[in-house]
Amino acid sequence: MIEALTRVVDPEVSLSIVDLGLVYGVVVDDGLARVRMTMTSAACPVADLIVEEVETELDRVVPAECRIEVELCWEPPWDASMMSRRARVFMHW
Amino acid sequence: MVKPSLIGLVAASLVAAIVGGLLRAGVGSQLLQVGDVASRALVAHAALMLSAFLGTAISIERAVALKARWSYLAPIGSGIAGLLLLSGAPEAGGWIAAAAAFVFVAVNVALALRQWASHSALLLLGSTAWLVGNLLFALGQRNISPLTWWFAFVILTIAAERLEMTRLMRLQRAAGPLLRLIVVALLLGAALSAATPRAGGVLFGNALLALSVWLARFDVARRTIHAHGLSRYMAVCLLTGYVWLGSAGIAWVGMSLGCPSRDWALHGLGLGFIVSMMMGHAPVILPAVARIKLRFGPWFYVPVLLLHGSLLLRLAGGAIAPELGTVGAAANAAAVGVFALTLLASALARPDSRHRPRNLIESH
Repeated sequence: MIEALTRVVDPEVSLSIVDLGLVYGVVVDDGLARVRMTMTSAACPVADLIVEEVETELDRVVPAECRIEVELCWEPPWDASMMSRRARVFMHW
Repeated sequence: MVKPSLIGLVAASLVAAIVGGLLRAGVGSQLLQVGDVASRALVAHAALMLSAFLGTAISIERAVALKARWSYLAPIGSGIAGLLLLSGAPEAGGWIAAAAAFVFVAVNVALALRQWASHSALLLLGSTAWLVGNLLFALGQRNISPLTWWFAFVILTIAAERLEMTRLMRLQRAAGPLLRLIVVALLLGAALSAATPRAGGVLFGNALLALSVWLARFDVARRTIHAHGLSRYMAVCLLTGYVWLGSAGIAWVGMSLGCPSRDWALHGLGLGFIVSMMMGHAPVILPAVARIKLRFGPWFYVPVLLLHGSLLLRLAGGAIAPELGTVGAAANAAAVGVFALTLLASALARPDSRHRPRNLIESH
């Protein structure tokens, strides 16, 4: 499932939501695939689109009988320390 | 999904604003004989472009982000205000626009409470600048002051969005305080623009110049210019926009001191910076608010080249011969038109690759 999520990319920086550290949790339990994620900004109108792309990518890999749930949350607040090494290298950390 | 009627209001404001701008630049004067709408568009060009069009578009974005039904009152009110300006009811239009901006301030308060950060505070400041500009306009002020406040609204909104992106990078410690200083200078310049336009304008122009240097130095576009496809395209639009922002700042100082650089100040800012930003972000924002999928490709560079080339013709060429300025202004409008066609073609070219996900539960 994580690999599927790496196909969801922030269009401006060409980094995946996984690399950006936006995915807080992925759980498959009792016929339910749950993703808990955040966005870098609560004021961004693109959040819904990103969530939809997450659902689309999960739909490709999760078994047909499994339900999908994507939760957009704001706690804990995102910060740059959650970015992957690859992302930090690209951003010249 | 934003209703088509709201998108229609945005489009109508933009078309009216462009027509008014062309008429002001001496293009299509025959239209003035046809009816009163054209002359009203000419008179209200700034209000239509900055408040009715950009205000409505920006408030739609925040309403989509907040996901509260009442937040749509801001863009609906702002769009209707634009129609009222064209219908010969500027007083009603002015006050409804002010009410819309008041709602928009509340939207930004709600967003800031959801996630308090420097960029959400900056968005909130930007929204109050829109409110001040609209209030001044409603009260009948038609000098540089409402215009300065409207520009401050759009510039602070853009700066906030860029500041948000800089969190992906490790910035020097001085970057944050420097930006705060620039924002204070910008707002102070706007505040002084009514009572002491000379001093206010010099301060405002210098703040614009300083902001362009800050963005050129710290923006994430310095990284993404080395990326590919859409990321690189966005970076090109941003970085070229920052050059125009800086030049417009110098021109704004000049204008305030009596130099004939008003067109460079207003349209270097409005077209070179703001429209370039919009061209850069439209491929991302339009799918988000209008649910229109676009196919990105190198053809997107055509209207961008046309925009910057025609602006150079208008401003630099116009300084040599006024006819070049007029041709440039017409080409500016053509650039926006070509961009609209590019978006349309890209939407039509996009294969419908989405299939409906099943059994979804979304909790936001």
